Amino acid sequence: MQYCTACQTAIATVVIMDLTNGSVTGSQHVCQACADQLGVGNVKPAKFSPEMLEDLLGGMKQARRPARTTEACPGCGLTPADFRQKGRLGCPRCYETFRTELIPLLQRIHEAQQHSGRLPGVVAAPPAVPDERSLSDVRKRLEDAVRGERYEEAARLRDELRKLERGQPT
Amino acid sequence: MSKGRRGDKPPEFRPGTWLLGTGPDNDIAICTRVRLARNLQGFAFAPCLQEAESTKLYEFVTSRLKQAPLPDKLAVVDLAPVDELERSVLVERHLISRELAASKRPSGVAVDPEESVAVMINEEDHLRVQVFAPGLQPEAAWRHAERLDDALIQRLPIAWSEEFGFLTSCPTNTGTGLRLSVMLHLPGLVWSEEIDKATNTAQKIHLAVRGLYGEGSRALGDFYQVSNQVTLGRDEVTIQNDVLLAVGRLVQWEREVRGALLRGSARVRTMDRVHRALGTLERAQILTSEEALGCLSAVRFGIESELLDGFEIAAVNRALLLSQPGHLQKHTRELLRPEERDQRRAQLLREVLGCAP
Repeated sequence: MQYCTACQTAIATVVIMDLTNGSVTGSQHVCQACADQLGVGNVKPAKFSPEMLEDLLGGMKQARRPARTTEACPGCGLTPADFRQKGRLGCPRCYETFRTELIPLLQRIHEAQQHSGRLPGVVAAPPAVPDERSLSDVRKRLEDAVRGERYEEAARLRDELRKLERGQPT
Repeated sequence: MSKGRRGDKPPEFRPGTWLLGTGPDNDIAICTRVRLARNLQGFAFAPCLQEAESTKLYEFVTSRLKQAPLPDKLAVVDLAPVDELERSVLVERHLISRELAASKRPSGVAVDPEESVAVMINEEDHLRVQVFAPGLQPEAAWRHAERLDDALIQRLPIAWSEEFGFLTSCPTNTGTGLRLSVMLHLPGLVWSEEIDKATNTAQKIHLAVRGLYGEGSRALGDFYQVSNQVTLGRDEVTIQNDVLLAVGRLVQWEREVRGALLRGSARVRTMDRVHRALGTLERAQILTSEEALGCLSAVRFGIESELLDGFEIAAVNRALLLSQPGHLQKHTRELLRPEERDQRRAQLLREVLGCAP
């Protein structure tokens, strides 16, 4: 425990470090009130951006979004032009075929892109396509583990994420 | 409602669940309806189906619906042999949509004897499940619909994905596929010219306000339908809560303006309007359906606010149904020209309301 070097009365909770060419050349321990006065009170812990996480994971994240659809739906033959003109889908498979165009449309209509609510029972087999919901959940847990410096857990989650992205059971 | 008539053709005068006039807040909330849009895997959506596929789908669905036991005793009405007049009767009873009535596809509707369930087959979606409950009862209507939906899911390969929920022909229904509507009688808000303000408020919180027969229909007889618009990203309970909250406020607002219309100097003007409407129903020789609905709305309000006595709400509900073109012609058992219809309507309404001939 250290007293604030500025006011000498309160307990120091903020450390201000001087950095020169990447190495610490000096430090000051101050209390929150003095840190606020110095204009450094609002420093927040660095947030992991998706880009940082991607770097950390060695670029394992691949481009998952398909490019703009140019093909007709294999299920019903609906063309992208038909879909854009009518704003209606031709068959259940259209949801996958026109996913890229559909998502912004759903966002405009419902201000949402993801279903919430009841579904017909539990899927018997593991999903063949990457499950977006589990993916984002595991990514978040991985991010938390890295931030909390729990590297063993992070490694396990990274492997899980890889499997999920390939559509394998975890 | 007589249980003995189960299986018979529904008698014309029976109001159906939507017009029973019972249930919570029934002075204002006429009926609650749950509609679920469901489609089958392996078929194109109904508007894109080729005729042969459309027939195959219709036959497949009806054969599965007939497999006992469903939670509701449903009788399938094949619409192919049903003529235009009978179809308009089904529309007026809210059992099929105007779109299905006009459709040339093989289609049908599965209805229970109480007319509290109507499953449209081959509408815009392969299945449109409708469940009605009298008054303001979103939860009860939902629970009923959920039971039926469970049974349908067991019998039919319903199309869905974890990401988008139930997959529907139009992206406006994707997700829950749930449209929860409450039919409201709002003469107070209309008469005090607050209805636009009320409907704007509802629309601001993403609720749709429509006329008596849904999209594009006018609010005849001061009847409105309020329903959720968002079906994706909000679960069924949240949708129920949204609708219940908004409708609860509208009901409260309607009660307040009704109160104001019955106080002070406004009271005599309200009484005048109600009695003029009754006078028209008692004496008019020619009545268009629009005028009839307007007068019946005023009389209904008069009965609810105890300005009129000697009339039953049930009789007004019966009159509401019979004043519509399909029911009127079905009742008189002949196709009538519009001017003949208006004359017969005036006569029939006098009989139904027990007025002097």
